[in-house]
Amino acid sequence: MLSIDSLRAGYGGIPVLHDIALTVGAGEFVAIVGPNGAGKTTLFKALSGIVPATGTITFDGASLLDVPPARRAHLGIAHVPEGRQVFPSLTIRENLEMGATTAAGRKAWADNLEKIHAWFPVLAQRATALAGSLSGGQQQMLAIARGLASAPKLLMLDEPSMGLSPAVADEVFERIVAIHAQGGLAVLLVEQRVAEALQFAHRGYVLEAGRVVLSGTHAQLMNDDRVRQAYLGM
Amino acid sequence: MSTAASSRRHAVPIALFGVAYALVTLATGNEYHQLILTLVPVWAVMGLSWNLFSGYSGLVSFGHAAFFGLGAYFVALAQVQWGMTPWIGIPIAGALGGLAGLIVGLPTFRLRGHYFALAMLAYPLALLYVFEWLGYQELTLPMEREHPAAFMQFADHRVYALLALAAMLASMWLTSVLERGRFGLVLTAMKQDEAAAEAAGIDPRAWKLRAIVLSGALAGAIGGFYAVVLLVVTPQAVFGMLVSSQALIVAMFGGVGTVWGPVIGAVVLVPLSELLHARLGNEIPGIQGVVYGVAIIAVILLAPDGVVWKLRDLRQRRASAANANVAPTAIVADDAPASARTIGPTLLEVSGVSIAFGGLKALDGVSLRVATGEILGIIGPNGAGKTTLFNALNGFLRPAAGSIVFDGREITGQPPHRICAAGVGRTFQVVRPFRRMTVFENVLAGAFVHEPDEIRARTIAVDALDQVGLRAIESVSAGGLSNRDLRLLEIARALAGRPKLLLLDETLAGLDTEGVEAVLAVVKRLAARGTTVVIIEHTMPAMVRLADRLVVLDHGAVLAEGAPEAITRNPDVIDAYLGKRWRTGDAVDR
Amino acid sequence: MDAAQYAENFLQALTAGLLTGAIYGLMCVGLSLIFGVMRVINFAQGDFMMLGMYAALYATAWLGGGPAAPWIAALLAGPMIFVVGVLSHRLLISRVTGLRSTALAADGHYAQLILTLGLALILQNGGLTVFGSAPVSIATPLSSSAWELGPLLGDRISVFVNQGQTVGAVIALLAVAAFVVLMNRSRLGKSLRAAADNPVAAIYMGIDVERAHRLAFGLGVAITAVGGGLLATVYPFQPYIGLEYVIVMYAGVVLGGLGSVTGAFAGGLVIGLVQQLSTLVLPNQLQNTAIFVVFLAVVLLRPQGLFGRAARRT
Repeated sequence: MLSIDSLRAGYGGIPVLHDIALTVGAGEFVAIVGPNGAGKTTLFKALSGIVPATGTITFDGASLLDVPPARRAHLGIAHVPEGRQVFPSLTIRENLEMGATTAAGRKAWADNLEKIHAWFPVLAQRATALAGSLSGGQQQMLAIARGLASAPKLLMLDEPSMGLSPAVADEVFERIVAIHAQGGLAVLLVEQRVAEALQFAHRGYVLEAGRVVLSGTHAQLMNDDRVRQAYLGM
Repeated sequence: MSTAASSRRHAVPIALFGVAYALVTLATGNEYHQLILTLVPVWAVMGLSWNLFSGYSGLVSFGHAAFFGLGAYFVALAQVQWGMTPWIGIPIAGALGGLAGLIVGLPTFRLRGHYFALAMLAYPLALLYVFEWLGYQELTLPMEREHPAAFMQFADHRVYALLALAAMLASMWLTSVLERGRFGLVLTAMKQDEAAAEAAGIDPRAWKLRAIVLSGALAGAIGGFYAVVLLVVTPQAVFGMLVSSQALIVAMFGGVGTVWGPVIGAVVLVPLSELLHARLGNEIPGIQGVVYGVAIIAVILLAPDGVVWKLRDLRQRRASAANANVAPTAIVADDAPASARTIGPTLLEVSGVSIAFGGLKALDGVSLRVATGEILGIIGPNGAGKTTLFNALNGFLRPAAGSIVFDGREITGQPPHRICAAGVGRTFQVVRPFRRMTVFENVLAGAFVHEPDEIRARTIAVDALDQVGLRAIESVSAGGLSNRDLRLLEIARALAGRPKLLLLDETLAGLDTEGVEAVLAVVKRLAARGTTVVIIEHTMPAMVRLADRLVVLDHGAVLAEGAPEAITRNPDVIDAYLGKRWRTGDAVDR
Repeated sequence: MDAAQYAENFLQALTAGLLTGAIYGLMCVGLSLIFGVMRVINFAQGDFMMLGMYAALYATAWLGGGPAAPWIAALLAGPMIFVVGVLSHRLLISRVTGLRSTALAADGHYAQLILTLGLALILQNGGLTVFGSAPVSIATPLSSSAWELGPLLGDRISVFVNQGQTVGAVIALLAVAAFVVLMNRSRLGKSLRAAADNPVAAIYMGIDVERAHRLAFGLGVAITAVGGGLLATVYPFQPYIGLEYVIVMYAGVVLGGLGSVTGAFAGGLVIGLVQQLSTLVLPNQLQNTAIFVVFLAVVLLRPQGLFGRAARRT
């Protein structure tokens, strides 16, 4: 469904990504792991059109690089950004409505809202609270729910565990797995904590210094000591 | 190039321009044209005044009319009330303008960005109404028929043009001297990155005050002269929005932060708007304002830094296209082995430092020690608090608890420029060189911070460039450097402050393998020569090879500390980096 | 002056302050919308207000008089200036704002300020050419009639409430209320607020931020123009009037906390009061100086605004 080939991207002329190639199939769960600064977030931003990129990105048969950034969500891509980035002065419900900016999201609004409330009951209980007043974990859940409200085909999650305590992070991961298990949704997960990310994924890619240095199935990567080397150096 | 050489470089063109202008003036018979020839240098001086402050400091003033108007009213009132000649009045008007600059600057420099712009806009407008209320709607300077020249009144209007020309040449000379000296370099450094400048030991407020006092003095004096030329002073004409705008527009049109920019702006725009006004003023009464409005919009959209810079850039592009394959490369000597160093007594001692942002504890009781001559690596996952720790060490952040002792002195909570003066230098995650300066000037700006003496500052800068191996490319403009050379340049800039302790923030980020090797070699060499280094990095492999000791931060606290090899095998560290399930291997199969 | 007369003067100034303050409040709301969504200081806001005044003047003539004509004309100024605002954004402002300006970092803000300064100069001086320099005003049949409150306290105090100004203030209040409903209830309003909170995340949602900015700019100048149309029935005006009011408006907006819509209205109201009450102790010419002093004091002492919860917006 998503296929990336020879992708290069960077900021102000300084390249961050070199020749990235990866694919995500419909309904697949794919993890991208790698140490900090490897270019994981830049990859997501390139997919969303926030940083300029060259190469090819094909989504659902269409060339993504030709689509203006604000139209990409309408194709069925939901980007749950690093650091949550909820709209702090909007209520929880309004944040979800903003997620449902896409036509698909508006059409399935009632259905999706029901599902979202089942996955994240706290968002129903505090529907009129300002998003800025939520705890980090709740904001992360809202950010994911906001992405789901667009009725996407691909959910891109950028470090959902960042800044969360291990217990809350576990809870978030558990919901992500439950959401994916419902079917019909491909998940592309970027994570620094490699074990958690690979644990749930079908396949994974290891990014280091802007390149894919390793890729394989869940089992292959979990047993490859090169993953540890990428992080710890020895 | 040295200050002396630089002002000499400017001296010849300035003199030639002066002579040419004077000849044109002497040949002009038409009184109206003589007036225009007088107004061009007047607005050029206003532009130069604006440029001295805003052009170099980067704080855009929308209220230079305040200084101009005060000067104009002082000269007019002094002559009307006390019979004071403008020959004395104008210098006093200058002093008054400088004083006004001080009074405006003291409170207003606490403001940033939008607020600063709005406050500056308000000063002249507030004064405008005060002078209207005082009843000076129209103040006419009395004709002094007895001793006209003693009161700066001349039947031959070319004299005014020549006086204005003299003022403009003097202002240009002043600007050229200041530009490449400590004043220009320090202000430009602040403009580019105030935080970095503060970390490099600059006291931003003091320098901004110097700039606005100088600038206000120039504007006050020329305002006084303007009153003499026009013989009538009205609040709208000297405090009005168009005065502030014209100062800004001639400078920005010609080129911000240059000697010639404001002059070029005035030479083009003043005659254009005056002549159009003379020709079309009846049908199109607002033509002057429209000309300035269109000019500034065109500049912002097409050449945001002004005509001079645009031309310079075009010329440089052509020049660099000609020798594109001369790639500047750092020359790095072979590295001294880390073991050759002697580790001395404790240089930095951090105990129990905590910092919270809102409810989030960014640092939670961090304690660590750095010995003289050692390379300490600080690592940890994203959001672990590494940069926050640096910000606490160099004074950007004030710890809520704990103490920091450097070189036997308590430095907790001191402002960044003091801590820098005590001997702590730092670099930043994002490299921000002064793009339009050469490599050497970039480092010289860092050296000037501690060393007012130019010759000694130059020696320090040369030495710093030697240490990082950039000496060979010292005259290349920093804008075109590779990522690696930028990192080295930043280290050199920090070294020029002669630090005992160097804090390096993700100096290896974004470098390719060769770049990492080059920077590692330089850092090792610095340490071998006695500079103590603390380096943040989130990738471990390079750190393991560089550091003597590693401190691992996670969730704002010290997770582990020790020799690199031990750290890479430390279970807690593996958990933090790879996740708990990695080590326990309880990842479920799917 | 005895106490009763002083009280009467005070009440009279208070009434006048509230009535003009309501219109200032509306003008401030327009400015605040632009700042809130785009983070742009628009120096030309006062000149768009001036355009609104002339638009209302011509619309009144076009409507052919009648008691309600000036008020309808003031409202019509809104859509007219909206078009001017949208065009200005598309042709000029958008080139230095939005995501494009993030690349310019800190310098970006100054590019915006200076661009709007240029726009202000063109509008003012172009206005001088088109409209002439003679002050004009919009007469309403109600301008010269007043309700008398009182006599109060025996028969010593009476307060006169100008009927024309009252209608203007009521329309301003209704317009602000309508705007608040738009921002809080409609999808458009919510998207504008989302784009203000975090433009990049708004793009991730599929919100066209460029378009949101264009609408915010058009809407912002249109709201201020309606305020200008209402003010035109109270005070005479000429093409340079924008300059005075740009500071008046910023004083109100800063007072209310930059970017807060409800705060901006309250701030405008306070500025109206300051202006009118200052006449009790200061000569008339210093009304605006009083506003500037308040403005500088707020900026210097309490930049988050009088009602400031710096963190919250809208």
